[in-house]
Amino acid sequence: MEKTANPTTKQTLIGTRVKKPDAPDKATGKTRYINDMVLPQMLIGKVLFAGRPHARIVRIDTTAAQALPGVHAVLTGQDATGLKFGFSRDNVALKDKVRCEHDEIAAVAAETEEIALRALALIEVEYEDLPGVFTPEAGAREDAPLIHDNFPGNKSLHFEFEHGDLAEAEAASDIIVDNVFRPHHVTHCCMGTSCAIADFDHNGKLTIWTQTQYPYNYKMDLAPALGINPGDIRVIQPPVGGAFGSKLDVYPYEPIAALLAKKTGRPVKVIYSREEEFKASPTRQAAIIHMRTGCTRDGVLTFRSADVLLDNGAYTSWGPTIPVIMMRTVSGHYRVPVVDFKAQAIYTNNPYAGSFRGYGNVQTTWATAQQMDMLADLVDMDPLAFHLKNAQRSGEVTPQKSFLRECALVECLEAAASASDYSRKRTEYAALRDAPGRYKKGIGLASSVHNAGGAKIHKSDGIGTILKMDDYARVTVITGASEIGQGIDAVITLIVAEELGVPLEHVTIVNNDSDVAPWDVGVHASRTTFIAGNGTRRAAQKAKAQILNAAERMLGEPTETLDLRGGQVVFERDGTPLIQLERLLRQMHFKAEPELVMVTDYYEPKSEPEGARHISDHSAAYSHAVHIAEITVDTLTGEITVDKVTAAQDVGRVINRMGLEGQVEGGLAIGLGYALSENMQIDKGMLKNACFRDYKLITAPEMPPLDLHFIESNCAEGPYGAKGISELPTIVIAPAIANALYNATGVRIFNPPMSPETVARAIHERRAQTNAGKVATPAEGLAV
Amino acid sequence: MSETMEAITTYLAPRRLDEALQAMADGDATVFCGGTDLAPQTESGARPYKSRLLNINRIEGLGGIAADGGEIRIGATTTVAEIRRSAALAEIAPVLVEAAEHFASEQIRNAASLGGNLCNASPAGDMSPPLLVLGASVELACWRDGAAHTRRVPLEQFFVGPGKSVKRPEELLTAVVFARPAPGFVGRFRKSGPRPALEISTVSVALGARVADGRLSEVRVAMGSVAPTPLRARHVEAALEGQPLDATTIAAAVAAAAEDAQPIDDVRASAWYRSHLVKVFVEEVLDDVRGN
Ligand SMILES: Cc1cc2nc3c(=O)[nH]c(=O)nc-3n(C[C@H](O)[C@H](O)[C@H](O)COP(=O)(O)OP(=O)(O)OC[C@H]3O[C@@H](n4cnc5c(N)ncnc54)[C@H](O)[C@@H]3O)c2cc1C
Repeated sequence: MEKTANPTTKQTLIGTRVKKPDAPDKATGKTRYINDMVLPQMLIGKVLFAGRPHARIVRIDTTAAQALPGVHAVLTGQDATGLKFGFSRDNVALKDKVRCEHDEIAAVAAETEEIALRALALIEVEYEDLPGVFTPEAGAREDAPLIHDNFPGNKSLHFEFEHGDLAEAEAASDIIVDNVFRPHHVTHCCMGTSCAIADFDHNGKLTIWTQTQYPYNYKMDLAPALGINPGDIRVIQPPVGGAFGSKLDVYPYEPIAALLAKKTGRPVKVIYSREEEFKASPTRQAAIIHMRTGCTRDGVLTFRSADVLLDNGAYTSWGPTIPVIMMRTVSGHYRVPVVDFKAQAIYTNNPYAGSFRGYGNVQTTWATAQQMDMLADLVDMDPLAFHLKNAQRSGEVTPQKSFLRECALVECLEAAASASDYSRKRTEYAALRDAPGRYKKGIGLASSVHNAGGAKIHKSDGIGTILKMDDYARVTVITGASEIGQGIDAVITLIVAEELGVPLEHVTIVNNDSDVAPWDVGVHASRTTFIAGNGTRRAAQKAKAQILNAAERMLGEPTETLDLRGGQVVFERDGTPLIQLERLLRQMHFKAEPELVMVTDYYEPKSEPEGARHISDHSAAYSHAVHIAEITVDTLTGEITVDKVTAAQDVGRVINRMGLEGQVEGGLAIGLGYALSENMQIDKGMLKNACFRDYKLITAPEMPPLDLHFIESNCAEGPYGAKGISELPTIVIAPAIANALYNATGVRIFNPPMSPETVARAIHERRAQTNAGKVATPAEGLAV
Repeated sequence: MSETMEAITTYLAPRRLDEALQAMADGDATVFCGGTDLAPQTESGARPYKSRLLNINRIEGLGGIAADGGEIRIGATTTVAEIRRSAALAEIAPVLVEAAEHFASEQIRNAASLGGNLCNASPAGDMSPPLLVLGASVELACWRDGAAHTRRVPLEQFFVGPGKSVKRPEELLTAVVFARPAPGFVGRFRKSGPRPALEISTVSVALGARVADGRLSEVRVAMGSVAPTPLRARHVEAALEGQPLDATTIAAAVAAAAEDAQPIDDVRASAWYRSHLVKVFVEEVLDDVRGN
């Protein structure tokens, strides 16, 4: 594929469609994922899970397991005593008390998986079951069983943000909606199940092959679980089958692999079966959101308050920190003058949550976007007009000081509404709502706001980049940016080719070894194209400057008149070729005062640390998306068919169009599953549907036709104007469908997923109420 | 998990039926056809393998659809995909083709066999309701006293509980047979699950009857996933038999459905939803027949 610009004219690659460099290998099965890896002398590690939610371990006997031929090590809680890790230092690789179903009680390293499994079966454990806590409300009760002795009241993290006078704002409101939303537990379902391979050398240095998406802080987080120095950890990231936030923390199987490797002196691989993956992976945080929003009779928002109880689960990973993003939406989703946000995470004996694409905003937008729709209905306005009336414009600042420098919310609203003929259809469908007929059509609009230039939750949101060129004008970019399938490899390649005028295929990326590549905070917060895009561009421009300076000296032409195109040094004005780039590089390298093109860059975005009070411009950019869902509801079976999704998103500027489309489509698939069918059925702490038969992902036939509109607001701080894009598609779709369901049937669902049964029941109850002569006002509006 | 997997000592893939029957005669063989039920069950430890694994796919005469005579005969190894594509069945028994249409995914349909679907005896098995309304029987063969013996069991007597049938361990299901439906026969099938593709039935309903002069006769109604086995809905049938197909009759049939369906709560649906769906589907299939 020759994507290089014709030397005579400058043809930009920005906004074109570029394939992922690893796509052919993945499509043909050549890629060796971490799951496929085998090292010489490697042992297999297997974990004994508790299989009960809350218990004391009375006795554990590993004698028979130890004695089994082929077993090299058996570890229990005693081998991990004191090695606390995790956000709140409440977790340990192997437990001495059971706090959730998947607590790791013992681990075995053996020659084969079969032997390891047999050894597990030989471990005798006597438990004394304890009363459990299975909802945050129950955990918050005074007489609730205590899950961690050192966390009284089962209280985990707490967050607050207030702005303005709530009482006054309530008094000034003509309408207030007041609802409780209960977003549920879902999980990432990565195609590649969790896997780690650990090996120690004789100096005590650990090499760990892992699926992590944040290799540098990973070292910091893993070290305490092993009692070693983070500097003694080398992280290698082979290709992974998905992450989506699930690999943004250390989970016990990783230190377990390392502890087994240490004990045996051999490499140890731990890999989950699909059932283990379901049970032992992090979840999206379940929450109870009590939200109130007010507005005046003419549709101006007056305040928004949210009181959130989070189901922490048994340990604290990144899940309970999601209020940091939840509150940005509560305070910044449309112009909200007065805000009151509180969130308390409560320990329970349920599976515990990590981070997951959307990071709290999926849950919050489920509530805010439905209340926007309810308010519009109650003030008798077209929701589009209501949204436009309250939409921020460029230059506005939210109560938390998010600076919406380039804001394209209005453009997104208008593009999506006009492409889908929203207002006309909404009126038409609402009029048919109570007419006879089994199948009802509905259309629903939702939007959200999200950080689009990183999020400075850690002390640094930066990235290091090293760019070098060889004597043949091949470029290697050594970058902190991890590739977990999201496509930063294509973006980096495209940017280097754009800046240095080399073919895409001449760019190699090295980004999977923490001993080689420099710091990056990780793949999260929709940040990598924004942050690594800037880092790559800056490094490439430094290299270009060095090359053009050398060319000026050698050719006697001033640098301003020169450019790099098509593998040549050319005249900027008309593209006349002057010298082959590779020849120039060799001349630079082999002359009397030799120089090599080898540049470094450290880019730190202009954003402010989150801070304890949460008043800061914590991202270098913010972005909006609007989704309009058109659905058909079978009012008898409750089945929702999504006929079409129109999505408009402020992307700043399109970099790789193919990657962008892929991210939006993939994000929508996750959001649709969340909305319609995915649900971890957890009964008293035990997962009942740990398989794909009963845990319903969206499959290909359920993917609706998509009409995507990319709005280019041209972000001053972003690479070529781009913003981060990948979480919003997951965030916005569920409430768009909920609003469409209301439009179609008059039914509101507060507790996702909108499964056929849930919808059928709600419609059935509404009809029963209507027949009984009661007025059904699902919007629970309160005129004050 | 593999620790519970019993060792398979012998693998057999005979070409002749008598060889297969002999290999099963002591009841110590696991029959393997498409493996789409067997593999997940053995893999999860839900059931162990027996010492002999018997692949029946190569047995001559065990597959294929014979639809020429008065009796229709579908061989045990016939795949759901073959049923779905069969022009003859589309003509004679579209209700069966309809059920094959809503079965799993293309990949699974290519492997899944009719015999395996019935022998797995799941209350959610999608081939059962249409075959029940077609009045089908199964043929069970075994080797005894140096010869093959075959018996016929009406399908409605075949199932005895979830995963259980009257088939003995030494018996092989060789074919499904049913009489060519008489002129005027109509059949309908409806199933539901939380998503359109790759779905185990939350509830399924099939109807088979003769329609003449706006009246139903020889009515058979079958339901899946509402009881421990697929069942004939006798109360619904009684409400319909000989009655004019009008709103009153349909209402009576819908009301009767509640007496036939005894669903439970499980991870896939609540008992309330299943009872609700059964009524919806009974009404839907009857309305549909009435409309035509
Ligand atoms: C992803 C997925 C989706 C599915 N979706 C559906 C669906 O939509 N609807 C549905 O009904 N089912 C579904 N199934 C279940 C399964 O595919 C069917 O039941 C299928 O028809 C089984 O046929 P098989 O040939 O694969 O049986 P096998 O797995 O080979 O055998 C099933 C059982 O029957 C026994 N057996 C097989 N043939 C014979 C015989 N001739 N005589 C005696 N014993 C025999 C075997 O020993 C075993 O106990 C699904 C399965 C999967 C994995």
